[in-house]
Amino acid sequence: MKKRVGVFVCECGTNIAATVDTQQVAEYAKTLPGVVYATNYKYMCSDPGQELIRTAIKEQNLEQVVVASCSPRMHEKTFRNAVEGGGINGYMFEMVNIREQNSWVHHDRQEATKKAEDLVRMGVAKVLRNQPLKISTIPVTKRAMVIGGGIAGMQAALDIAEAGHRVILVEKEASIGGKMTQLDKTFPTMDCAA
Amino acid sequence: MVAVAQHPNIELITLAEVVKVTGYIGNFNVTIKKKAKYVDWDLCNGCGTCIDKCPTKKIKDEFDFGMGLRPAIHKLFPQAVPGKPYIDPLNCTKLTKDKCGICEKVCPTGAIRYNDVDQLVTEEVGAIVMATGYDSFNWQDAYGEYGYGKYPDVISGLEFERLVSAGGPTQGKILRPSDGKEPKHIAFIKCVGSRDDTKGKSYCSRACCMYTAKHAYQVKTKIEDSEAYVFYMDVRTAGKNYEEFYQRALNAGAKYIRGRVSKIYPRGDKLILKTEDTLMGMALEVEADMVVLATAMVPAAGAVQLAKTIGFSVDKDGFFQEAHPKLQPVETFTAGVYLAGTCQGPKDIPDTVAQASGAAVKVCGMFSKNELVTEAMVSEVDISKCSGCGLCVPICPYGAISLQEINERGGHGHGPFTRQIAEINSSLCQGCGACLPACRTTALNLKGFTNDQLVSEVDALCL
Amino acid sequence: MSIDTQTTFKPKIIVFACNWCSYAAADLAGLNHYEYPADVRIIRTPCSGRMDPMLVLRAFNRGADGVLLSG
Repeated sequence: MKKRVGVFVCECGTNIAATVDTQQVAEYAKTLPGVVYATNYKYMCSDPGQELIRTAIKEQNLEQVVVASCSPRMHEKTFRNAVEGGGINGYMFEMVNIREQNSWVHHDRQEATKKAEDLVRMGVAKVLRNQPLKISTIPVTKRAMVIGGGIAGMQAALDIAEAGHRVILVEKEASIGGKMTQLDKTFPTMDCAA
Repeated sequence: MVAVAQHPNIELITLAEVVKVTGYIGNFNVTIKKKAKYVDWDLCNGCGTCIDKCPTKKIKDEFDFGMGLRPAIHKLFPQAVPGKPYIDPLNCTKLTKDKCGICEKVCPTGAIRYNDVDQLVTEEVGAIVMATGYDSFNWQDAYGEYGYGKYPDVISGLEFERLVSAGGPTQGKILRPSDGKEPKHIAFIKCVGSRDDTKGKSYCSRACCMYTAKHAYQVKTKIEDSEAYVFYMDVRTAGKNYEEFYQRALNAGAKYIRGRVSKIYPRGDKLILKTEDTLMGMALEVEADMVVLATAMVPAAGAVQLAKTIGFSVDKDGFFQEAHPKLQPVETFTAGVYLAGTCQGPKDIPDTVAQASGAAVKVCGMFSKNELVTEAMVSEVDISKCSGCGLCVPICPYGAISLQEINERGGHGHGPFTRQIAEINSSLCQGCGACLPACRTTALNLKGFTNDQLVSEVDALCL
Repeated sequence: MSIDTQTTFKPKIIVFACNWCSYAAADLAGLNHYEYPADVRIIRTPCSGRMDPMLVLRAFNRGADGVLLSG
């Protein structure tokens, strides 16, 4: 595997840039082993931001990508798609959290910038060991089984059946209805249970 | 109920239980045991002649908790769905002693089958919704102070439901099981088995406060000059229109007394309750004609075994474990298996219906796709390192690891041989990586979070 | 919420956080702008079950002053 890492540092408007010197982080990234390209940009998740990643992958022949921005729980999928749009496997990508876990919780610019550099170093170290991964698919049998024919089972079976799917409702007693059939009126409306 | 039976997309299989489940999300194979009914339901027209003519009529009806009687060939209750009878093989004299055979003679469609046997069928399904419900806590075993069940007029809330129901053994008249007289003073005891660490369960069963308020209200409105005493620890009415309903019971004249009942014993044909009023700070002795216990909800019999059969987890009380208590309340840790109703934990009807619809939406969402994408970051086995020790197998919460035999060519003076290795089912693996620390030979690795990757992260941060 | 930062000792603290709870909680702390010292470095794990004692020892071995496992 060739090692050609591109690092993209997001400013997130001022969300990150107010506390972290993103340009300094990008400059620092260029000094890391394996990194051949690094830049910062105002909104990395925006269309031009993603285009920046796709273009850089092609022009710089990048093999691995690190995006330093918000939480991966937020935009990991977005950037994975962008990376794939650039022509490399979406799993040759790591995301570094410098917003939720850095710029938003610290106010010392120097310390936050240092932390961002550390986190980018971590991301680069990891991405160098990433392997392309394949997503596989499995077929779906569009038929459901509901086990238990009380209120819950009947409601679930009816809802699935109404949506147009076949349902097998399995009940251990000789009749559906469950405990509900033993009840008289039910609270709070006092309507009949059956 | 009828809507379920009539729906063209729903196939009903009653008197049946699940005995085996294999496969994974989108592709389950479920084996069901259909118990013998001794009646061919395809031929039976549900006329009920057999039920009327059955000479074995004095069997205690389980549906009415033994307060009513039924014949050996019967429906679970008159409005049963499907509305067809079946034979109780333990009480039918034809099946036990080969005497009688009347139902066969009177059946106009020739549907009786004394030689019927249990059948196993296998169904292929993509998703499973668990809705196995609850059972009533067996208070007779735990509460000696309430008589271990030896006083006939100390009954559970569900038994009271049968007494007060128009379709019940008394046609809806509240009568004492012991002598059939109308009780005037009825005591209700809440939290029997619930919120009781020593004798029962630690949890609140959630529905009892409300159904006890309903029972008290029904006593006050159905029986003239009656008294309804409710002994409680707390009154919990969290739900839309619930507090209003409780107030309605109070306005009807139900007497709420805060205190536990420490003993019930008979005096003449009355029951004496020794208790206290903790708000007044005094001991009390209350005379009642009947006592109704609000018993805890516990998981249905066999639920834990069923969870094992299908392969998902249960909580400390045996209720089915949801994947996340707040964010994934209808999912289990096993993809494709969803939860609805009281099998997941005690709840009332509105919550049950809501959760069931939630589970249905999860199923429909899954069915909206033709193919499911599997997780790319899953565990993998380096078979050259795997010793086949099997330590990873019980660790996996998803049952994704199994041991397989492989053939080796041998060499270095050995002939061909077979050995065991761990195999990951990538459709079941959710990529948690819990198996990795269990692997002594580092044969297991998690794609995307390999040992190498995490070590490199640690090293980079500690630089 | 604040933590006393008036100390000269700058420890190196490595946190292993489960993606589904603790990592999400750290994000939530960020959303709420709860300030805490910048000495913390969080490593995302897919689950706390993934944690191998080897990783903790590795961190100490490489000079970490503290390791927090959270999940």
